[in-house]
Amino acid sequence: MNQMSWPPQVPPPSPMPPPMPVAFSGSRGEFFDLVKRGAGLEFVTLGFYRFWLLTDIRRHLWANTHVDGDAAEYTGRGKELLIGFLVALAILVPVYLGYFLIGLEAEHIQAFASIPLIAFFYLFGQFAIYRARRYRLTRTVWHGVRFWMSGSGWIYALQASLWGLLSAVTLGLALPWRTAALERYKMRHTFYGDLQGSFEGRGWEFFKRGWWLWLLTPIAFYVFPLAPFIYGAFKAIEWRWWLSGIRFGGVRLESSLPKSALIGLYWKVIGWIVVLGLVFSAYLALAAVLVAGMSGDAFSEFFKSQEFAKSIPLLVLAGIGYLAFALAMNIVIRVYLLRDLWVRVLGSVNISGIDAAANVSARGEMANALGEGFADGLDVGGF
Amino acid sequence: MAMASDISVPPNPPLGGSVAYFDGTSSRRRMVTLRFADRLEINDGEQALAAWAYADIRRADSPAGMLRLNCLTAPALARLEVRDTGLANELVSRCTNIDDHMIGRRGVAAIVGWSLAAAASIVAVVLFGLPLAADRLTPLVPEAFERRLGDVADSQVKTMFDAKVCDNAAGQKAFVKLVTALRESAGLDTSVQSGVLSSSVPNAFALPGGKVYLFNGLLAKAENADEIAGVLAHELGHLKHRDSMRGLIHNGGTSFLIGLLFGDITGSSALIFGSRTLVTSSHSREAETDADHFAIDVMHRLGRPAKPTGELLLRVTGKEGKGLSIISSHPLSEDRLARMSRQDPPASGPPLLTSEEWRSLKAICGGKS
Repeated sequence: MNQMSWPPQVPPPSPMPPPMPVAFSGSRGEFFDLVKRGAGLEFVTLGFYRFWLLTDIRRHLWANTHVDGDAAEYTGRGKELLIGFLVALAILVPVYLGYFLIGLEAEHIQAFASIPLIAFFYLFGQFAIYRARRYRLTRTVWHGVRFWMSGSGWIYALQASLWGLLSAVTLGLALPWRTAALERYKMRHTFYGDLQGSFEGRGWEFFKRGWWLWLLTPIAFYVFPLAPFIYGAFKAIEWRWWLSGIRFGGVRLESSLPKSALIGLYWKVIGWIVVLGLVFSAYLALAAVLVAGMSGDAFSEFFKSQEFAKSIPLLVLAGIGYLAFALAMNIVIRVYLLRDLWVRVLGSVNISGIDAAANVSARGEMANALGEGFADGLDVGGF
Repeated sequence: MAMASDISVPPNPPLGGSVAYFDGTSSRRRMVTLRFADRLEINDGEQALAAWAYADIRRADSPAGMLRLNCLTAPALARLEVRDTGLANELVSRCTNIDDHMIGRRGVAAIVGWSLAAAASIVAVVLFGLPLAADRLTPLVPEAFERRLGDVADSQVKTMFDAKVCDNAAGQKAFVKLVTALRESAGLDTSVQSGVLSSSVPNAFALPGGKVYLFNGLLAKAENADEIAGVLAHELGHLKHRDSMRGLIHNGGTSFLIGLLFGDITGSSALIFGSRTLVTSSHSREAETDADHFAIDVMHRLGRPAKPTGELLLRVTGKEGKGLSIISSHPLSEDRLARMSRQDPPASGPPLLTSEEWRSLKAICGGKS
């Protein structure tokens, strides 16, 4: 314990210990190596490695997050995610087929009448988000006790969909109350051992802090450079409000994240996208010149005849280049928007009343990874 | 109070350093001492808490500077946290199987190997399995279901192109005469529906369930009845072979399987779209070539040449150049013209339409006449 710099040494039993910060000890280089190697393996396995990469990323982030001097642990494994994905597929295929047949009947009555059926997939996506959260929580261990969740994914999905409808109708104004209501449901059904969670954030608080961003958003559609500022500020406000509302029994979280904390991260990502885009374009141009050179025709003729759009070597080179480009983007996004964001947000958190978690009985069963599989299959994500 | 025990270092510890133990049934942190006997004994002062067999001890995730252990035969979440480097090294050297559960180089190689095998099998299914499945499944799909699909596509096409059916009396009469002659020569029954749509797009297409549509735009570019007859015969070929149904099964299966392959690499949809286009267009080129052969046979049976149709196609698309047309769904117009000109006998049968009827057909969308 004496080798570690955290936590600040707490004096023996005092009636009200001061709030303690959450620390992160992982090195950036180590995380970069992790995602770089992972991206390489994703490239080789055409994406199948994602289950193990995601697991390794979580293990790294969890294991380096210290609360009360002890690091958390992520006990999920890549194989579980793979199995969850396969089972989800087995369920989604008949669902898609049924969707197709019902859509056909609807179209028979009226052209494009099947579009409302998309609402079903929104509902399903929300269900997947809830169940994926349950999987992640039951794999989160601290002090030898796991987190777990009760509640129903379908009830959550119904609430999320109805609130989503209200948000859409009010052009996003109802969003703070939607988030608050959904967080209350999620946290009420979240436990650490036998310690029940709750959420004290109010929609009104969130609204008061962020309403001016809502007014600025229409301008961002015309003045593009404004968008990262607005989005960054919105996310920072949301994180701070969300974290400050989390309770586990007597344990209270408080975040002091400034509004400007995340804007720099989004600009860095945009900068990298531009750089990578330029590299990709240069690569495409080079590949086109090479292929044109090999085909033996004069350059101008090669491009004029539109032959280049049909050349197999060029298409293959472009495909490989695109895959590499997409994976490089993934590295950038994971380093900045996953790791750096995690560190900044965690650095703003203070926990008070941690004593309430000092002697908690273990409870709760592990949930399966089916929800993660659905989320993967439907391309949805969220906490 | 967990923190309090931090300070009271056990008197005369058998092995130094601070070791924390969590028993997996509560979050209580106990500061313990370890004793290396025939098993690893975990003691809190005089009280023995647990004894772990060395062979069952495994490494758990931990931050740098700490060794965290669990035991296969202990509660799943029981943890031992060792922060003293010397003690940690001693433990690692005694626990011979400590890293057995980690995915090592061989584990990663296995993942890569199986992934490549899965990818190869998906590609094989897309290239060989799906065309076969489409061929075998198509005859099993009930006609009624296919007609239903056709009705849906019908209303969507009409909405998309904002097209109306042209049916002025004289033109319609000529059109029906032409289609009937072709249909009988093609050996199709009267369930075939056909019509001319008022769209300037120079195209014609067949929908599932026996519907053939000709766009007015193609009619405008045609110079004689044989040109249009060949195009209609080509579309009837698609109906005869039930190519729409086959294409639907093939396209749907390909999209699904290729989507499976690339999963969630950000922006992979472009890649999916690209590879799907490659695969399905090669399939549709085969179907188009078959329909061309069908059209040639129908025209020859009627004693009419197929070459004019090839000329019409070339007029519509323009010269397409050489090179591999791997992504175009139709064969090159030059090749089609060449195929249709080959062994084309001189006209032996009567013209399909009189010049009067041909003029009426050309004017089918031109209001009353």
